[in-house]
Amino acid sequence: MTAAGAGPGATAARRPPVALYLHVPFCRSLCPYCDFVVYAGADAVGRRSRVEAFVDALGREIDLRADALDAAFGPPGATGRPALASLYLGGGTPSLLRAHDVAALVARVHRRFGLAADAEVTLEANPGPDDRGDLAGFAAAGVTRLSLGAQSLDDAELRALGRRHRAADVGDAVAAAREAGIPLVSLDLLYDLPDQRLATWAATLEGALELHPDHVSCYALTLDDPDAEGLTGPGGDHLPTLPGARRWRDRARPRQDEDRAAAAYALADAALAGAGLPWYELSNWAAPGHESRHNLAYWQRRPYEAAGPGAHAFDGVIRRWNAARLEGWLAALAPADGSPPALPPGGSESLDAGTAAAEELFLGLRTAHGVPREQALARADILAWAHEAGLVEDAPEARVRLTLRGRLLSNELFGRLV
Amino acid sequence: MTIPQERLRNFSIIAHIDHGKSTLADRLLELTHTIDPRQMTSQVLDSMDLEREKGITIKARAVRLEHTAEDGLLYGLNLIDTPGHVDFSYEVSRSLQACEGAILVVDAAQGIEAQTLANVHLALRQDLVIIPVVNKIDLPSAQPDVVIEELENVLAIPREEVILASAKEGTGVPEILEAIVHRIPPPQGSPSAPLQGLVFDSHYDQYKGVVTYVRLAAGTLHEHERIRLMGSGAEADILELGVFRPQLVPVKLLTAGEVGYIATGLKSVRDAQVGDTVTNAAAPAPVPLPGYQAAKSLVFAGIYPISGEDYPLLRDAMEKLHLNDASFTFEPESSVALGFGFRCGFLGLLHMEIVQERLEREFGLDLIASAPSVEYRVTPLHGKGVVVVDNPALMPPAGEIETIEEPWVALSVITPSAYIGSLMELSTTRRGTFRTMEYLDPQRVLLSFDMPLAELIVDYFDQLKSRSQGYASMDYEEAGYREARLVKLDVLVNGEPVDALSMIVHRDKAQAVGRALAAKLKELIPRQMFEVPVQAAIGSNVVARETIRAMRKNVLAKCYGGDITRKRKLLEKQKEGKQRMKRVGSVEIPQEAFLAVLTVGEGS
Repeated sequence: MTAAGAGPGATAARRPPVALYLHVPFCRSLCPYCDFVVYAGADAVGRRSRVEAFVDALGREIDLRADALDAAFGPPGATGRPALASLYLGGGTPSLLRAHDVAALVARVHRRFGLAADAEVTLEANPGPDDRGDLAGFAAAGVTRLSLGAQSLDDAELRALGRRHRAADVGDAVAAAREAGIPLVSLDLLYDLPDQRLATWAATLEGALELHPDHVSCYALTLDDPDAEGLTGPGGDHLPTLPGARRWRDRARPRQDEDRAAAAYALADAALAGAGLPWYELSNWAAPGHESRHNLAYWQRRPYEAAGPGAHAFDGVIRRWNAARLEGWLAALAPADGSPPALPPGGSESLDAGTAAAEELFLGLRTAHGVPREQALARADILAWAHEAGLVEDAPEARVRLTLRGRLLSNELFGRLV
Repeated sequence: MTIPQERLRNFSIIAHIDHGKSTLADRLLELTHTIDPRQMTSQVLDSMDLEREKGITIKARAVRLEHTAEDGLLYGLNLIDTPGHVDFSYEVSRSLQACEGAILVVDAAQGIEAQTLANVHLALRQDLVIIPVVNKIDLPSAQPDVVIEELENVLAIPREEVILASAKEGTGVPEILEAIVHRIPPPQGSPSAPLQGLVFDSHYDQYKGVVTYVRLAAGTLHEHERIRLMGSGAEADILELGVFRPQLVPVKLLTAGEVGYIATGLKSVRDAQVGDTVTNAAAPAPVPLPGYQAAKSLVFAGIYPISGEDYPLLRDAMEKLHLNDASFTFEPESSVALGFGFRCGFLGLLHMEIVQERLEREFGLDLIASAPSVEYRVTPLHGKGVVVVDNPALMPPAGEIETIEEPWVALSVITPSAYIGSLMELSTTRRGTFRTMEYLDPQRVLLSFDMPLAELIVDYFDQLKSRSQGYASMDYEEAGYREARLVKLDVLVNGEPVDALSMIVHRDKAQAVGRALAAKLKELIPRQMFEVPVQAAIGSNVVARETIRAMRKNVLAKCYGGDITRKRKLLEKQKEGKQRMKRVGSVEIPQEAFLAVLTVGEGS
C-alpha cells in the first residue's frame, strides 16, 4: 500500500465530531437476515423490557463521550468544537422509544454536543401501526427526517422476510409522517430477495415512488455470517447469529442470483433517477439537496461520535466501537453497586496513513461526487486499469467517479485499493 | 550403559493405516518406560502435524527402548518406524533394511490389506523374522480366528506363532516384547572391524545441521571422531552422537548393530545422502555398504509460487525440504502460464499432496501445482532414440511422433467379495486388464490387474474407497512400459493456451475428457469481469467449449452503518482470496482448476 499522494488522512489529527449516531438495540421481533445489534421480544416491549434502563444508560454514555470531547476540544460552541450537523437514531427500531425519551435525548445532545440550527435529526422507524410510534411527538422532539424500513411493497415478500408490517402500512406511515410535520422521509428497500421476480421489484419501486419519498436506500439482501467474520466474540461488535436465522440464511442464499441482482440494481437506478432521485452513493438515491448528511459523513471520512451497544465512531484517526452485548454495556454505564458510570467495553483500530488513504479512495468512490483525479493518481496503475475496464469515468472539476458498471463491480476496484 | 551386541534387537512394525501401529508403538514406549506416562501424547512417533492429521506415518523414525526381559537381562530394542501408505513403500524397504525382524500388525476386524501384504513380502525378501500380531481383539467385530486363517493361507504363517493383542488395552503387549527378545536375532557385525554405518534417513536441524540416522553394520563410533561419507567423500567431525528415546539423547559411543544418530554440522544433506556409508576418516572401511536404490518418481507435477517474486523462497524451501525428504526430485522449469517454478517427481499422488502441503505450511508459501503426469517415452518420427516426457506441455505435436509408450503397473486390490463387480468395472474403464482373482477367505478376495499408471493417479484410490465403502485396499508395483494411442489435450482459457492445464489422454477418451474438463473448469474458475471462453483442443481441433459468464455484481451494497472497519476487512478478505489465485493472461485461476484433471476421470 502506498501512502504517496494521500489526502488529509495522511496528516490526520483527531477532530471533533460533526455527527452523532445513537444505537437503539430493540425490535418487537428479529428479522432473520439482519445482523445489527438487536434485542427483541420481552427485552423490547412490556413490563420487563430493558428500554428504560437503556435510555437512562444512553444518556450517561452521551455525557461521558461529551466529557472527553470537552476536554480535548473545549465545550460545544468553542472555536474548535462545531455544533453537530447530524444526529441519527438508528437501530433496531428507535420508533419504539417514547416521544419524551427521544425529546430528552435530543435535548441532551443539544446541550452536550451542540446541534446546528439546520441539523439533520434522523430517526429510524418501522412502518407497522404498532411500530412507528408517536410521529407527532418525534417531530416535536426535533426529528427532521424519518427513515422507514419499508423493504418491499409486496406482502408475500414482506412475510418471507419475517417483517411485521404489510405493504399498505408503508403508505400510511409516510402519510402519517407528513401529517406529523416531519420534513423529510426516506424509504429503505431490499432487492435480491430469495426467488424475487424483477416484476415484483419494479412494482415495489413504482409503489415507493408514488409515495414521493425525499430519499431512497436500496440495499442488496446480504446474508453475511458475522460469526465467521470473527465479530461475535464476548467483546465483538455483533451478537452471535441465532440458529433459526442461520438456517433461514442458508436456505435463502441459493435462491439469490447475481445476474438478477445486477438487473434489479440497474432497474432501481433508472427508475429513481427518472423520478428525480439521482444516485449519490452506491446504495442511496435522493432529491438534490436531500442527501443524508449523516451518511455522507461516513463516506467523506468526517468524524462521527457514537453511543449505544455495537455503535461505531471515528475521530479522524481512530475507528472505535462499543461491544454488542447489552449486559456489559449496561454494567459499565449503570453499575449495580452504584459506583460512577464508566465507558462501556469495546475495541478500536488506529489507521496508518496508507490505510487512511485507501479508505479515502474507496469511500469517496462510493459517492457520485467521486474523488479528485489527483488523489486517485496516487494509485495510477489501478486507476488506469479501472478506466480500461470501464469501471470509472472522468467527472467535472477534475474528479473521477464510478460508472454504473463500476458501481456494480466496485469491489473489484476497491479490493485492489485496500 | 552399554548393552552388548547379543542383547540388541532392531525391528519395525508393518501395519495398514488404522490397524493400530502407532498405538502399539505408544504402548511399547510406555511399558519400557521410555516415555514418562505424564508426558505421553498420543502417537508419539507421528510428530509431524500432517501425520497426526492424516493418521499416517510419512517419514521413517526410530526410537530406542530398553527392556528387562523375563530372563532378567536388559535388552536394547530399536524400533524403526515405517510409513504405511502405498506411496511410501520405498521408505518402508529402507527402514526394513536396518532391521532383523518386523512385527506384522493385522486388525482383527479388518484382516490383511493389500499394502500389508506388499510390505510383508518386502520384509521376507530381506530375510526378516516376522512376529505376527492380531490386534484389536477387544473390538466386538473382531474375528481373530478368521484373520489367523488368512495369515496361514496367504502368508504361510503358522497359527501358533500369532500373538493376540489389544494395543489399546495393553493386552498381549508384554508377549510382544518377549517375542522381540526371543524370536528376533541380534545384529551381526564386529565392533572391532572398520566402521561401516548405513545412513537410512536424515533430517535438517536448525542448530545441529544435518542429522543422519545410521545403522552400524560394523565397527564402533566414538564421539568427536572424524567421519567420512564414502559416497559423497564429505568429511566432518562428529558434534554429537546419540540414540532416539524418542527425542535425541547423546551417548559416548555406538557399536556394530546399534541404531542412532550423528550430528555433524554438515550444511547440506547432499553430503550425507540416504544410502551412503559412514566410515572413520582415519581408518576407513575398504568398501561401502550396498546402500539403496534411488527412490523412483512415478508422478510428476510442476510446483509454482502464486506470486512470481516468491520463486527464490520456493527454491530455498525445496532445498530445505529435500534435506528431510530425499524421495522427491525437483528441477527448475518454466511455464508460459505459471512463470518460473519446479518440475517435481513424487513417489505417488499422496506424496505430492504432502510435499505441497509441507512447503506451504512449513515455509509459509502460497503455491500452485499443475496437474500430475507420468513419465512417457516418446519416439519421434525423425529423431534418434527415445525422448522422456514428464510434462504434457512438452509433448511434441502428434505429427512428429512415431510412438508413445506409457508406464503400466501391476495392481493388487484386496476387497470384500461384494464389491468385486464394481471394482472390476472401475478398473476396466481405466483401461485396466484383469489378471487373477484369489480368495483369501470366504469373504475376501485378492484381485490383480495391469493398468496404465496414468489412469491410476487420477483419483483411482478415492474411487476404490468410495465404491467399496472404504473396505478395499490396494498396492501396486511398476510393470514396464507399453505403447499406447495417446494424444495431448490442450486447454485454452480466454483464447490463450494454458500449458499447465495440458494433459495426455487416450485417443478414444479424448473427446469425453475434453468435454468433462471444460465443464469442470467452468465450475472452478470464478466469473471474471468479462466473458471467458474455455476450450479443450487436440492440436487445432477444438473438442469442447464452455463459456464462463461475466461477473455482473460484486459490491458491498448492504447497510453497515458507520462500521467502515467491517467493510474494509471484507474488501481485504476478497483481496487475499484473489492473491491465492494465479493470474493467467487477464484471468484469475484458482489452484483447484489446475487439479481439475484429477476429478474428470469418471463418466468419461
